[in-house]
Amino acid sequence: MRVIKQRPMNWVERLYVFEAIRGLWTTLKHAARGLLRYETLPTISYPEGQPEVRNTYRARHRLMLRPDGTPRCVACGMCAAACPAHCIFIEATRSDDPRIEKKVKRFDIDHLTCVFCGLCAEACPVDALRMDTKVISFEHRTRDEFVAHLEDLTAWDPKDYPEDEQSQMAPGGTKNAEARKVWGMEVK
Amino acid sequence: MDIIESRTWIEWVITIAKFAFCFVPVLYILLLIPMERRGAGFMQDRQGPNRSYIKIPFFGKIRLLGYVQNMCDGTKLFFKEMFAPAGVNKVLYYVAPAIPFAIVFLSPCVIPWFGPMVFEWGGQVVRIPGSIVDSEVGVLLLFGLSSLSAYGAVLAGWASKSKYSFLGALRTSSMTISYEVCLGLSMMGMLLLAGSFNLTDIVNWQEHHVWGIVAQPVAFFCFLIACIAETGRAPFDVAEGEPELVAGYHTEYGAMQFGLFYMGEYSHICINSFLVATLFLGGYSVPFVTTETMQAHMGGSLAVLCGVLAFFALAFLHLIYRYSRKLKATNLTNRFEILREYSLYKIVAWVAVAVLVAGGVCAWLYYDPSKFVVNGFAVGSFATAVGTALIHLLVLVAKSVFFCWVWIWVRWTLPRFRYDHVMHLGWKIILNIALINLVVTAVIAKLVGGN
Repeated sequence: MRVIKQRPMNWVERLYVFEAIRGLWTTLKHAARGLLRYETLPTISYPEGQPEVRNTYRARHRLMLRPDGTPRCVACGMCAAACPAHCIFIEATRSDDPRIEKKVKRFDIDHLTCVFCGLCAEACPVDALRMDTKVISFEHRTRDEFVAHLEDLTAWDPKDYPEDEQSQMAPGGTKNAEARKVWGMEVK
Repeated sequence: MDIIESRTWIEWVITIAKFAFCFVPVLYILLLIPMERRGAGFMQDRQGPNRSYIKIPFFGKIRLLGYVQNMCDGTKLFFKEMFAPAGVNKVLYYVAPAIPFAIVFLSPCVIPWFGPMVFEWGGQVVRIPGSIVDSEVGVLLLFGLSSLSAYGAVLAGWASKSKYSFLGALRTSSMTISYEVCLGLSMMGMLLLAGSFNLTDIVNWQEHHVWGIVAQPVAFFCFLIACIAETGRAPFDVAEGEPELVAGYHTEYGAMQFGLFYMGEYSHICINSFLVATLFLGGYSVPFVTTETMQAHMGGSLAVLCGVLAFFALAFLHLIYRYSRKLKATNLTNRFEILREYSLYKIVAWVAVAVLVAGGVCAWLYYDPSKFVVNGFAVGSFATAVGTALIHLLVLVAKSVFFCWVWIWVRWTLPRFRYDHVMHLGWKIILNIALINLVVTAVIAKLVGGN
């Protein structure tokens, strides 16, 4: 056990007056900062100004893509098994590629249930699921819209991840959609 | 009719017009609330309330630097339902909030707002005192009135039929009474030096000798602490201590009844800050300049006044221009909206600067009381008296605004005292210091041979 011994106050401090004046000086400095250097205040006026989000922040999910534009997901279901909130729903189907056993037919994440723990991204054996989109606000009209489907999870742009090489391998933009069309996953 | 004819009509007009000063504490609420909110925000490195806006057609949103929020809150309080819990004493419950607020209109009557106006009018010399009631017992009357506001708290606590309110009322009443003693005694030294209870005489003495804060620094300190304690604000707000008593004596109040307590508290701050400024900071007197010198050089004095105001306008402009530049560099999505609003302030401030500079130069060059003749009737000395009164009033307001800031500053800096500590400080420390100060002052005054 660590015992912190506090230094007893000396007589100047026990008088209270001088310490109070020191405190007043501190608050005066802060008030002057607010008045004269308003833009240095740490507050972000939120909807107009956005906070800086790191890519390590566990934000909205996305599914990584192979260079041909198909999802990396092999529908193993490990993310759904790891999920403590049971918010991932996966349906698998036979893969067209002979080297790969399964492909994902349905991949839904219910963001109303999700606790953003990041265990799914850690559980993924093929690094298909990531949470580095930096999307921190979810606003929708209905409950159904909070459920992200496969199309939503794969519809990201490589331009938004300039520092990540693997994201650059994906075709990106409209090519993502074309690739999915070849894969039999048309977006209606 | 004799009493009416005993004075000239201009004397009657000014005497009646002086009653407008009753509304000064209420107007100060409009200043104090935004000052408190933004000031508190800045001290805690927050921005303070700044989001409410008024939409002006064809222009955009104006936020008035966050002032709109206070209008919104006032409107909301005003239109809320008046609600009384079951079992309260209906009469006392509804009367109680009105008491502190009604006293606010009575208290300012003895404060001298400007030096006595002395001028010639139709061949006879007219003298008009600067306070609404030029009483010989001035400051005692003020104390009597301001301590009446404790009744509001006591009645509210009693009528609410709530333990929290009752305890809060007990604490308020005991604390107000204790600090009333300190307040009176710490002020006595100053009265001893001036030799009068009349606040005009006290200010006059300070103007011709030294300010009270120099003559009686210890008394000033005790008086300031007792004043802060008497208004019942932090660090002495044990009566409304949230951790123990919810909100003290106004726990059961809502809507505008709570608003009346709130406004009463702020007005009390205003009156007390006027009192501190009058007793210890020379009241309406201008630093380093006597009224006689000022009246002899009225044009120059008005020019200096205009210059000071223009300086403040320029300082405001500097802040606005500086922040506009910083804002332009950010990527806030509403930055152009805000810049548009600021352009409005820039125009207003530049117009104010131009008007003030022009007025100051004109006053400097062309002010000549002997030229002021209306229909062959010389009003030159009257104009000088009005100019003096204006300068006096603005100086007093500046001093009191500073003390209002002290109230806010202290509140958001110091933590609340425990209740027994408050009583210990009041009865065992401040009272003794005030008594010793009084005795020492009396001895020195006797030896030096003053009053």
